[in-house]
Amino acid sequence: MNTAPDSAVAAADPTQAHVAAEWEHDAPLINCRFDPTGRFVFATSEDRSILRFDVESGQKFVLETQETWVRPLVFDPTGETLVSGGYDGRLVWWSAAAETPGPLRSVDAHDGWIRAAAVHPSGAQIATAGNDRIVRLWNMADGALVGELAGHEKHVYSLLWHPEGQFLLSGDLAGVIRQWDVASRQEVRTLDASALHTYNGGQGVDYGGVRSMALSHDGGQLACSGLTAATNPLGAVNEPMLLVFDWQTGELKTTHETKDKLKGIAWRVVYHPSGFLIAISGGSGGGFVIFWRAGEAQEFFVHKLPNTAREMDLHPDGLRIVTAHHDGRLRISRLDGKPNEEEATS
Amino acid sequence: MKCNHACGSQEHGLARRSFLGTMLGAGASAGLGTLVRPAAAEELQRQQKRVLVCYLAGGVSQLETWDPKPRTDTGGPFRAIPTSVPGVHISELLPHTAQQMHRLMLVRGVNTNENDHGKGSYIMQTGRRREPSTDYPYMGSLAARLLAPEGAALPGYIHITPGGGGSISAGEAAFLGPRYAPVVLGNGNPPQNTALPDAVSVTSDAARQSLRRQQDERFLRRRRTALTEAYTSTYDQAAALMAQREVFDVSKESEQDHERYGTHDFGRHCLLARRLLENGVTFVKVSHSNYDTHNENFNFHIEQLGEFDRTFATLINDLADRGLLESTLVLVLSEFGRTPRINHLYGRDHWGTAWSIAMSGCGLQLGGTVGATNDNGTEVVDRQVDGGHLFHTYLRALGFDPTDQLTVDGRPVQIADPAAEAIEEVLA
Amino acid sequence: MAVHVRPVLLMLRRCIAVATVVVAVQFLAPAGAAERPERPPAESGSLADQIDGLIDEARELPVAAPADDAEFLRRLYLDLMGTIPPAEETRAFLDDPSTDKRTRLVDRLLASPQHARRMQVWLDVTLMERRGDTHVPSAEWQEYLRRAVLKNRPLDELVREILAADDTDPARRPASKFYLDRGGELNLLVRDVSRLFLGRDLQCAQCHDHPLVGDYEQQHYYGLLAYLSRSFVFSADNQPTVFAEKGVSDPVKFQSVFSPDDTYETLPRVLESEPPAEPQFPGGQEHVVAPADGVRPIPKYSRREQFARDLACADNRAFALNWANRLWALMMGRGLVDPVDFHHSDNPPSHPELLDLLADELVASGFDMRHLMRSIASSATYGRSSALPDGIDPKTLVPEQYASGPLKPLTPEQLCFSLLEATGIAAAHRAAVQQELTTGDPRLGELLAVDSARERLADEVAEQRVYSRLQGNLGAFISLFGAPGGSPQNNVQSTVHQALFLSNGGPLVGWLAPGSSQLVDRLAKLSDADAIAHELYLSALSRPPNDLERGQVAGFLAARAEELAKAVSELAWALCTSSEFRFNH
Repeated sequence: MNTAPDSAVAAADPTQAHVAAEWEHDAPLINCRFDPTGRFVFATSEDRSILRFDVESGQKFVLETQETWVRPLVFDPTGETLVSGGYDGRLVWWSAAAETPGPLRSVDAHDGWIRAAAVHPSGAQIATAGNDRIVRLWNMADGALVGELAGHEKHVYSLLWHPEGQFLLSGDLAGVIRQWDVASRQEVRTLDASALHTYNGGQGVDYGGVRSMALSHDGGQLACSGLTAATNPLGAVNEPMLLVFDWQTGELKTTHETKDKLKGIAWRVVYHPSGFLIAISGGSGGGFVIFWRAGEAQEFFVHKLPNTAREMDLHPDGLRIVTAHHDGRLRISRLDGKPNEEEATS
Repeated sequence: MKCNHACGSQEHGLARRSFLGTMLGAGASAGLGTLVRPAAAEELQRQQKRVLVCYLAGGVSQLETWDPKPRTDTGGPFRAIPTSVPGVHISELLPHTAQQMHRLMLVRGVNTNENDHGKGSYIMQTGRRREPSTDYPYMGSLAARLLAPEGAALPGYIHITPGGGGSISAGEAAFLGPRYAPVVLGNGNPPQNTALPDAVSVTSDAARQSLRRQQDERFLRRRRTALTEAYTSTYDQAAALMAQREVFDVSKESEQDHERYGTHDFGRHCLLARRLLENGVTFVKVSHSNYDTHNENFNFHIEQLGEFDRTFATLINDLADRGLLESTLVLVLSEFGRTPRINHLYGRDHWGTAWSIAMSGCGLQLGGTVGATNDNGTEVVDRQVDGGHLFHTYLRALGFDPTDQLTVDGRPVQIADPAAEAIEEVLA
Repeated sequence: MAVHVRPVLLMLRRCIAVATVVVAVQFLAPAGAAERPERPPAESGSLADQIDGLIDEARELPVAAPADDAEFLRRLYLDLMGTIPPAEETRAFLDDPSTDKRTRLVDRLLASPQHARRMQVWLDVTLMERRGDTHVPSAEWQEYLRRAVLKNRPLDELVREILAADDTDPARRPASKFYLDRGGELNLLVRDVSRLFLGRDLQCAQCHDHPLVGDYEQQHYYGLLAYLSRSFVFSADNQPTVFAEKGVSDPVKFQSVFSPDDTYETLPRVLESEPPAEPQFPGGQEHVVAPADGVRPIPKYSRREQFARDLACADNRAFALNWANRLWALMMGRGLVDPVDFHHSDNPPSHPELLDLLADELVASGFDMRHLMRSIASSATYGRSSALPDGIDPKTLVPEQYASGPLKPLTPEQLCFSLLEATGIAAAHRAAVQQELTTGDPRLGELLAVDSARERLADEVAEQRVYSRLQGNLGAFISLFGAPGGSPQNNVQSTVHQALFLSNGGPLVGWLAPGSSQLVDRLAKLSDADAIAHELYLSALSRPPNDLERGQVAGFLAARAEELAKAVSELAWALCTSSEFRFNH
């Protein structure tokens, strides 16, 4: 495993964040994820391809092109298997770690877009959801459908397994988060993240949604990312926002926004092992990695990126962040000391 | 100095002498849009042709509707699906409409070369580029003038908009005059001022109207003119319109129909449009808002077309079932399409260079396409047309000669842009 | 005067009131002091006779009787003041036994501040055609026009100011509205200059000689355009947008689409007149301020100033004929040349000698609008009843014979203000303003009553205040009864929406609602039906009811005794929506 020791995690200092590497593709990127071992980073692109980059060498491998765009990328805990979800409603299993990765299986899983997928902590099941508003559960091993969770009234945007494996969370466009007891297929409770949604009557559009969810490492808090202040949805006038709930009580604890009212969507939020929150914001204001301390409404640091960003993942070592960009580049930003002054000022 | 053809008269190629010779008699009288051949208009009014326009405000994406380019750099994430016409594919966002394709004609080579909302909208509804010195009537006003039965109680041009109050958009009628301006039904509500105020009972209204008529009778005995006739008749028209107020009440339609059309505003408005057309309104425009998707084009097209698709397909199907489609020209328009290039916000921007519209009914050739764009939709490669060609085509479908002249303050104005002509191959 | 210690607040209030008056006096001093003496009325009297002579000589139809006093009063009020007369004014006029009362009425109305308002509206609507504001606020432009009329400034001078407007003098900023709020669009400006100031719509001559009108040639179009081809809309940061001008330009060239191989070139010229002699400067020395990025150029010689001089002058016959015809149309309902922007030899005036006479008189009087309007108003032709003699079918009427007084639909402004007058609302606001100006503050009242000049000022201040209280009612009437902004406002249709507005949803219903209506509540307090009928007809139709009408009112009210106010409201509505009200007759 490439996971760094605790000392390295402690060395992470967002205020030192800087772009350390850039890898190119010739079409805009959509998503990016490190595999659990941290050896590869996978990305998807508007040219319908799935890409794999070797984190050390930057070497690129293009997986078989799909029918449409691919959004979610998830892995079994070993990193050997990748499952991708497409806007054609199809799930595809891939030999992620092979020298030349290829498709292993595909399943027509949903009617319309698959927007989210999440693998059970045990690696045995995969949950998926999207525009048909139904959450489905699949056997990781053979792709068999093992369950359905119905109840969302709007497109489902995000999924998250609780680390203990009993509960699945699903968040939708309207800002409704449903907590499911998976064994009984029962809904346990809903959390109200509707602050992340807006209906603009003049334009006649719904906008926003729970774009991602993350649970703090101590299990005490649930963070959701998305947008607020959407005065002009069709014109991308909106600001990134996180809502943090107390996991036990379901109460809203903190609303995280930006000091300078940056323009964008918080596409994803993750918790750093040290406890702070990391979100990626992209939109009309540009691309930013934003860092908040738990409980503090405003960020303590913003790492400005050279191009608008659409997704982000944190390396298992806790020191590297990968971001996917419209300019076709993956950028690796480091959270530890900058190599020299020139780079710091460039 | 470049001439912008502000004159709008017959083709400029005509020698001035012959022009003077043919037009002098007809053009001498002044007036608001006098048609040079009134007999032809009477014949058309007799045939009861109608027009329905679904106006997708803000500019719907041709790539997510009528001209998908899947698996290309511009195609976006949606697939193309087969339709009821073999060989014709449209976006997967229109599954119900796809089943009505045999009743549609897609024009895929539209190039209006205009990326401004207001100017694009003007081109698509007047068939001309905006000129600083002359305003031309919108097709709804023209239809109200030329197609609507004389003396009809209901307005000839009705525009149903989402939200907002009702009003009269006098500007759209231009030189035809405000009588032919659209009556705007904000959120599908009945026209303004068509209900008696609370303080005035029916008997009270009858009393005051009777007093008014008596007063007029005395005054006009020695003073009657065309102007006074026009004025006094507006009260009769008002009474007739108020008596027909129920025509605007869509709740009179069956619950089943409400369900079929969709319980959203656009569904309700299209059901109202059907009701109005069935009750003899000549021109109905229903706006659906909004498609100006600079941001998250794909999400918003799922949402908007999700409303449009089933409702529109139901409406087309109903018009056909009820025998109205033969006499009703149906158009799906926007001010422009959207850029093939997908921007950094997953959006598409304004694009008048290579886009599509859909037409139906009124004896048009249906079940096909005319015109084409290249592989990734960045330019028209076959049968390029602009707003003028489309306007000529609509008029021809309705039975007009688009080269007929209207006389406006003594000045001849061809009904449709003299620089364009109809798309003959879609006319029966 | 005894000195008392006064509460500070009161002092302050007085200071403000006095200051207002002082400002008003200073502001208005030029208007009162420098008002141009009009041509002596005696001559205009003879002009009125000449008008009648020329009209009568061309007529074949029998003539309607002279209008009675009430009909004349209402007509003159609408034409000169833009509204129907107040009831008490009507009463006084009808009761006045003197024989010269019509002459005195014409004089009094022409001299009133309401007349300046009326002509301000007419000039504004004529010149701007209800375009939306872009660069110059309407309020400033309208005030500019109002003051010009108030001072009876020569019309040619006013037009020269408008056509030469270049914003170098901030005080004349409003004059640049004509150019700026047309966006400086050259073709639009040429069309509108030709229509509005020369009485000929040259639009069709842009691409070729006019296809229908032999007189309208393409070279006329480009001759006008050449005066403006150096002008452009100039914007710079933090400065108002102006219509600027360069000192040089390429020659103006044009081709006819009928013969695209030939290219013509023209210097600036007004129709058939000779091009002006233009000063020549060595290359590079044409400017006082040379054009540069972000710098507004100022030429040594302005073609636009030359344009104003060449176009709006006594020597330009088309200019004089245009305005003589438009003023005639304003008073008589149609131009001697009709339409008013279609002067050409195949569309001759109905009375060529008369138009010539009016144009000559306009020039000789120094483009004095008041003088011409007085003469027309004093003619027997103007003073004829609109009711045709018995036995004449109205359908056989030939309008250009002027056998009877014309029926003119009220403009949106006339309709709105007349309804406000008829329903008693205008009178209530006048009273409130009088209260403000006189009894509200005795010192102000004293100040305004010092001499006749101050009284005149008081009238003007009162008019402005009443207008500002009432003008908010105009919008709904303009949008429904006017033509769309930017198009000619003289061809307006009756629509069903207007009737619905007056019947159901518009303000009129509220203005006549029992319990809150000035008019209805006043009438409902009267004891007998006869008195109600009299007051009602006087207020709404500016005349007493005839016997038949009195009988009808009595019958109607007798049947509704238990809901008298409601019945009065219905009667009042019927009169306010009658054709007799809707038209100036």
